[in-house]
Amino acid sequence: MTTSTSKAQEGQDANNAASSAIAPLRPGVSLSRTVWVALIFCLLVSAAMLYQHSVAAERDPWKSPQLLALKEKLRDAPADESLRSEIRRLDLEFRQRYFRRLDLDNTGAWLLVGGMAVLLIAARNGVKIVARPHLPRRKTDGPQAGIEMVARSRWSVACVGVILITGLATLAFTGRSPLPDSATELDKLLGRSPSGGEVADIPSLAEFQTNWPRFRGAEGSGASKNSLNLSLGEKQGDGVIWKSPVPALGFNSPVVWSNRVFISGGDAARREVFCYDTADGKLLWQRAVENVPGSPAKPPEISDATGYAAGSMATDGRRAFVMFANGDLAALNFDGSPAWAKHLGIPRNTYGHASSLAIWPGKLIVQLDQDEGAPGGSKLLAFDCPTGKQLWERSKPTHSSWASPIIVEAGGKQQIITLALPFAMSHSLTDGNELWRAELMEGEITPSPIFASGHVIMVSPAGKLIAVRPDGSGDVTKSHIVWTAENNIPDVTSPVGNDELIFTATSGGMLTCFNAKDGKKVWQKDLDTEIQASPAIARNHLLLVSTKGEVVLVEVSREFKELGRTKLEDAFHASPAFANGRVYLRGAKNLFCLGTSSDKLATK
Amino acid sequence: MPTQSEKKKWEKGDKEYGTSNVGAPFHLFTFSLFRVSHALIVLLFLAWLPAFAEPRFPPPDFTETNHQIPTTTTPSARAEWLQYLDVAVLGAGLVVALWCIYKQRSRRGLFWLGIFSLAYFGFWRKGCVCAIGAPQNVILGLFDANYTVPLSVIAFFALPLIVALFAGRAFCAGVCPHGALQDLLLIKPVKVPAWLEHALGVLPFIFLGFGLSFAATGTGFPICRYDPIVPIFRLSGPGLLISLAILTLVLSLFVGRPYCRFLCPYGALLKLASLASKWRVRVTPDVCTQCQLCENSCPFGAMREPSAGNVEPKQLTSERRRFGWLLVLVPLLIAGGAWIGSALAVPVSKMNPTIELAERYINQQKSPANYGPMTPEALSLQRAEHDSEALLKSATDLRHRFWLSCVIFGGWVGLVLGVKLASLSLRTKRTDFEPDRGACFGCARCFRSCPQELVRIGRMPAGDLPQSPVAAAAKT
Amino acid sequence: MSDKPKSESSTRRTFLRNGARVAAMTGLGALGGVLVNRSQAESWVWQIDPQKCLRCGNCATKCVLEQSAVKCVHAFAMCGYCNLCTGYFEPEPNALSTAAENQLCPTGAIKRTFVEDPYYEYKIDEKLCIGCAKCVEGCNRFGNGSLFLQIRHDRCVHCNECAIARTCPGDAFRRVPAKQPYLLKTTHAH
Repeated sequence: MTTSTSKAQEGQDANNAASSAIAPLRPGVSLSRTVWVALIFCLLVSAAMLYQHSVAAERDPWKSPQLLALKEKLRDAPADESLRSEIRRLDLEFRQRYFRRLDLDNTGAWLLVGGMAVLLIAARNGVKIVARPHLPRRKTDGPQAGIEMVARSRWSVACVGVILITGLATLAFTGRSPLPDSATELDKLLGRSPSGGEVADIPSLAEFQTNWPRFRGAEGSGASKNSLNLSLGEKQGDGVIWKSPVPALGFNSPVVWSNRVFISGGDAARREVFCYDTADGKLLWQRAVENVPGSPAKPPEISDATGYAAGSMATDGRRAFVMFANGDLAALNFDGSPAWAKHLGIPRNTYGHASSLAIWPGKLIVQLDQDEGAPGGSKLLAFDCPTGKQLWERSKPTHSSWASPIIVEAGGKQQIITLALPFAMSHSLTDGNELWRAELMEGEITPSPIFASGHVIMVSPAGKLIAVRPDGSGDVTKSHIVWTAENNIPDVTSPVGNDELIFTATSGGMLTCFNAKDGKKVWQKDLDTEIQASPAIARNHLLLVSTKGEVVLVEVSREFKELGRTKLEDAFHASPAFANGRVYLRGAKNLFCLGTSSDKLATK
Repeated sequence: MPTQSEKKKWEKGDKEYGTSNVGAPFHLFTFSLFRVSHALIVLLFLAWLPAFAEPRFPPPDFTETNHQIPTTTTPSARAEWLQYLDVAVLGAGLVVALWCIYKQRSRRGLFWLGIFSLAYFGFWRKGCVCAIGAPQNVILGLFDANYTVPLSVIAFFALPLIVALFAGRAFCAGVCPHGALQDLLLIKPVKVPAWLEHALGVLPFIFLGFGLSFAATGTGFPICRYDPIVPIFRLSGPGLLISLAILTLVLSLFVGRPYCRFLCPYGALLKLASLASKWRVRVTPDVCTQCQLCENSCPFGAMREPSAGNVEPKQLTSERRRFGWLLVLVPLLIAGGAWIGSALAVPVSKMNPTIELAERYINQQKSPANYGPMTPEALSLQRAEHDSEALLKSATDLRHRFWLSCVIFGGWVGLVLGVKLASLSLRTKRTDFEPDRGACFGCARCFRSCPQELVRIGRMPAGDLPQSPVAAAAKT
Repeated sequence: MSDKPKSESSTRRTFLRNGARVAAMTGLGALGGVLVNRSQAESWVWQIDPQKCLRCGNCATKCVLEQSAVKCVHAFAMCGYCNLCTGYFEPEPNALSTAAENQLCPTGAIKRTFVEDPYYEYKIDEKLCIGCAKCVEGCNRFGNGSLFLQIRHDRCVHCNECAIARTCPGDAFRRVPAKQPYLLKTTHAH
């Protein structure tokens, strides 16, 4: 529309220009009229182009929110015919408008060039007509004027200089950059340990082993080398030093380092990490893990029976690591500030991802078993603890699994042992290369392996407790099995043991003791309660927690002997954590710390 | 393990947990597929879902039809020989300009040459083979052995400079499309006061220093990036530059060649070169009669008057002393500039994409707050994450290059200011009206204002010549 | 030129000027020598490395041209001729038809034609393509990756500094010899 009228106007301009050339009677008037017409024409074209840009650009077909919203709507109501036709109508309209705008921009720009040319010719001629010749006048101001001019110029140049230099200096001295200047600082940033004597970013093995840095302790076998300082009576709540409310859903077990306890929890909307003080159970901080790069806005649907925080956290005393069932892996510093975060892809797992994180000084291991054994599905990943950089990734030919990996030093190597249908596998911690595998797993693999008496003890939920020598290579299914036991095999809880004895507890409450050397049953005791939390051992104490809150302390010996028992008012699915002689238990509503009352006084 | 506590419930057959936990919209293809029921594709699709290097869907063999698979079209870039045409046009343009200025003394010739250059280098070549930007390519070629400067660019850099060393700014006169456009637009020139002219005249040198030191780091070509004329040749561009272009155009209606005088970095180089030129533009073809008719003829402030008498000796000594002090100031200014420049590397280097990404990456690591949707920024951060060590290393190396560049740039700013200040005290003894060697664009406007010229071309009888004041003084 | 006797200062100036000119010419000559040694006669043009491209969408908006010189091109030999083309259809298409609500391309620049059961051919209409990479993303994520972005040199104005390259998050832009101005895709890489 504008285009056609513009063209008409241009024609008029041409006429004007022509008439000014033909009829030189009143050239000045004619020329100035041409100038005005050309000017108005130019302004009109510019205005039309500006209008098109400001209005139409927002309705470009690829960014129209209206169209996107309609398409989203159609996804929910695929059969809606009117919606479809509305989309088609809008789509056509927007596309036509866009290409019309391109056309107009092109023609408009050339029209503008033409209009400007006419304007220029007319204006130049007009100026020429009215121009008066220069009449020089006699100079009276002598050399002094020149000197004054130079002085003024000097000042103005100085002014420009001052403005420039002030501007540059302001820019220069206000600029801040997080990028380090020197190579050594860069090394520090990259997490390489500096040669100086600062606090190492990676804990020593001894430091690591005195804490409870992951699910079921440093090695993941549920055994602590330190004894418990715990005396239980019959009374309800006996031995509780403190309890502190847990604000979010999660089945993960506490991890403890020095004076900090970490748990995680959350739901589809929000997933958080909670840090408590071991002294009084005070919630020191809670931090949501959100906006992880690549993490989809809509988390997967996971039943509350698993929840988003089934796998336990891990810590290296500098950072706490957490993984949620939506595939977000994050590291938080001890003050709660985020250290790093990444999204590992949504775990394709029927019940939801539940494997806990495994950790060894400097390395964080994620067992990501998913899908049904298709290549490219399950994998084992290693990350650098300080930086979160992926160190290696190995594909695994296994199905989804809910067991957690353990890291042991056996056969002269640091091995990561994972259980999943159908293989028990061992990978080197150093480079992730596979060390051995055994095709022993059947059913839905839930109990985690342990390392006791030099063997890897594993439960196949189809009803077998198997001990495997971890010094093989390749397929060790036939060659490295030491013994197999087939009675009272748990389907949920993991076994626990020491060099002599192995214990299992079934969901039905049957506690069984096996000989670690040959797998012969030593004793069994029906505790007549439901058990979902794996038992744990601290020297000669075995601790059991039932779902209803019965805490039973049993002696680790060749005969069954109950040492104490108490009742807590909560529901327990998470395994206990031991640190500094105390027991940390996560219930559905509260986090409990158990110990002796003298200990309790001492902390006050 | 707590997770499995509810397993029995699930086993009762609640199948909806099945595959529903795939979140990205594209995964939802699987559902729609069933809806549309294309079983073959579904099977293929599912089987090949994981990433593979080989094609997921094998290329078809057409059995029913004899369909020929088309080839990808590759419209060729500009033919190789055309760049030599550009160089030839440049060379020819320079020759014609020189001929118009010195031989023909023809404004009209230069006018049409300007129109031709505007059409060829401007609207046809879209302003992108251009002497103004060429110094950046040259300096990058010097500092970065991996960057090869095309021969045509070297020619565009060197030819106008060589001409300027001998005969002044013939390039500006009619070959440069930027200059030609502004020259054409000049309708009603306003005289810029000399002090302002001097002050703003510093800017091209600063811009030149910035452009070159920035280009030397391999980051980019700011002289091209912030060129306010090229968007006009392309008839499109980013909004900010378009507005800058319109501003320049409107300004050049009233101020003679504002870009050339107050910003053009190549013009600054040509100015320096033509200060040493062998031949120069003179207003009069013959003898100056001091008629002063030409004093307002230059719209670009290049006309210099004859020296007006002698300065008092007292004033002269104080001027000399000042000049001495200003000369002493020059090294101080250079040192100060370099000192500021050393700190300038941090903010300036943020314009480098690698450093910008590295900084963003570090900040992101410190507080992984708002990642948001997959914007280009988030995508680049993901790339950074992938190879953070190499990125940070190259960013620190680059920062060092920037440091050096910025120190030199700071020193250059000090040098320009100092030399400019000192040079203002220099006095040239002039007997005639003549255009300044450096500032003259060679546009030939002043020629026609000279009565001697009018006599030469036969527009005026020789008898009408005004009497020279010198001659008049001699008579009395 | 003139017969006037040259004053002392003017000869000094001429001397200085001559010196400066000789110095400048020598400098230029040295510079030219170094550069010509290193330079090649061939000219260079910008191009996108499709293996580095992250399909961010910048190409559609950052080009100095109103309609970007970057277009989607199709390596037909890599194409699976799929019925369900993930570069052509929206995720979860309502139906496998050419209806607007099913098309991924915002400008309808992909032409889908039936070849034989079950194969369809997809061609890009470059006049309509804006280089937004939506189809490229779909094809690379779930298909053979036969769709990819390239700078079309019949449209590119060959800026000295490419405005898209400056903002490319994948660092995918680089200069290539003008004789082989395309980086065509032959394999799909992840």
